[in-house]
Amino acid sequence: MRVGAISVGRSGDKGGTLDLSLVALDEEKYRWLEARLTEEVAQAAISRVMPGIVARYPVPGLNALKFVIEDALPGGVYATLHAGLHWQKAAIWVLLDLELD
Amino acid sequence: MEQKVVACGAGFAGDRTEPAVALAASGRVDAIGLECLAERTIVPGLRARRSDPEAGADPRLERRLRPLLPVARANGCRVISNLGAANPAAAGRKIARLAAELGCRGLRVAAVVGDDVAGLAKHIAWDDMVDGNLLGAHAYLGADALREAIVEGADVVVTGRVADSALFSAELLPILEDDGDALAGATTVGHLLECSGQVTGGNFEMPDGDSLSAADFAELGFPLATVRADGTAEIGLLDGAPGRLDRLTCTLQLLYEVHDPSAYITPDGILDFTGVVFEEVGPNRVRVSGARARGRPERLKVSGFVEQPGFIADIEIGYAGSHALNRGRLAADALRLRLDDFPDEDVRIDLVGVDSTLGAASLPPANRMPEVRVHVSARCRDAQAAQIVEDEVYALTLSGPAGGGSVRSERRPSLAVVDGFIDRDLVATETVWEQVK
Repeated sequence: MRVGAISVGRSGDKGGTLDLSLVALDEEKYRWLEARLTEEVAQAAISRVMPGIVARYPVPGLNALKFVIEDALPGGVYATLHAGLHWQKAAIWVLLDLELD
Repeated sequence: MEQKVVACGAGFAGDRTEPAVALAASGRVDAIGLECLAERTIVPGLRARRSDPEAGADPRLERRLRPLLPVARANGCRVISNLGAANPAAAGRKIARLAAELGCRGLRVAAVVGDDVAGLAKHIAWDDMVDGNLLGAHAYLGADALREAIVEGADVVVTGRVADSALFSAELLPILEDDGDALAGATTVGHLLECSGQVTGGNFEMPDGDSLSAADFAELGFPLATVRADGTAEIGLLDGAPGRLDRLTCTLQLLYEVHDPSAYITPDGILDFTGVVFEEVGPNRVRVSGARARGRPERLKVSGFVEQPGFIADIEIGYAGSHALNRGRLAADALRLRLDDFPDEDVRIDLVGVDSTLGAASLPPANRMPEVRVHVSARCRDAQAAQIVEDEVYALTLSGPAGGGSVRSERRPSLAVVDGFIDRDLVATETVWEQVK
């Protein structure tokens, strides 16, 4: 199952920290996601693309999972070597396009 | 229970100007907040102020306020904004002159100053200071800094650096019940409103790829909120305004850039969002409640900017037609050979259209891509080094794979953003008044 088939998401940032949010469509989908998209699974996906340590914050009342990655954007968004500015707006697809069993 | 209506008329410096005018013209809005000062947006203002003491306000101030001020004035809608950027006092004078020109007689402008803490540099505890010239240092003020301007009845309140949410919650201070959770609720409403279209269907896609139509995105409505004295609220859109406002769009905006959702730190309080409840009470109408306060931080966050030598050179060259992907890959590999004296951490070479955004997490490319662009960014110690990287890309038009062209390049001067903290008691704010005759 693709994470993005059962949830919506958005990327944000502050300084060098990347801040990702996923909201499952309902409580059942949230429980499925919460059990499978662990901190370790997210870390493995994130580490393919950027540095930083993933911290996960489950918010069951909102069917949401947050992932905060400190130092994912070294020097902040303006020090990036990506093409143009604000590549990190698309970073949530690292999680949305994950396939989990 | 007493209530007030606050709305968002801008969520960043370059935001559209029409939604603010529509909201003010509705006659429903007590105050409209214009958030126009992202972290680094203040930098051009700081540079301009060095040579001209009246410079430093947002350069889009007039474009934004010329259509809005007369409409807001006619509808009794207060305008609250951080358009003051690096010079809120000068912005206050500029707004008063503009209002006079527009015939807004008697209009009162309050400029809130005091966020500039460069003069208190020795009291700032920096997280990780770097070498270079400190261009400026600004503390994130809370809603309380705007209280005098609101209570004394300013028609326009202009500030520099304040917490974005404060531009919306400040209007509510006079009616809020005297408990932390009411203020937490009002701050939460500010947080939901502060990114304009991001809560009304912008930057949002459903799992099946469904989103608003192009026509809806082109005319997206910005949000307004009816807020009660207990800090609970109903978020909505003007009747007929395009958009999508529901539990999902509100939840994504609630969680946007807050880090730990049980302890979101703002100058007006540390907020716990884990008990927030969204109820869809009608089409594009969502009730929000349940935010809790967990005390108030004793220190304010400070943003500092440090000018450093060097540039980032960011260049692209395009390939099109049959075998475009193959030629793009050849060009990228040739550049890797040409630039191999750069340390790995100072250069990035990839293919726009293939993997320039998500790197190794990109979906596989199609075999027959009609066009592709090769991108190079490199950290360069000076302008000459940047020129060499730019020239290496251009050189591919003659000495690289066939048909390289559509070259584009930009150079960004190095500038470090550093975070720090300052005791809030050291940050004194002042309200400077201007009145249109």
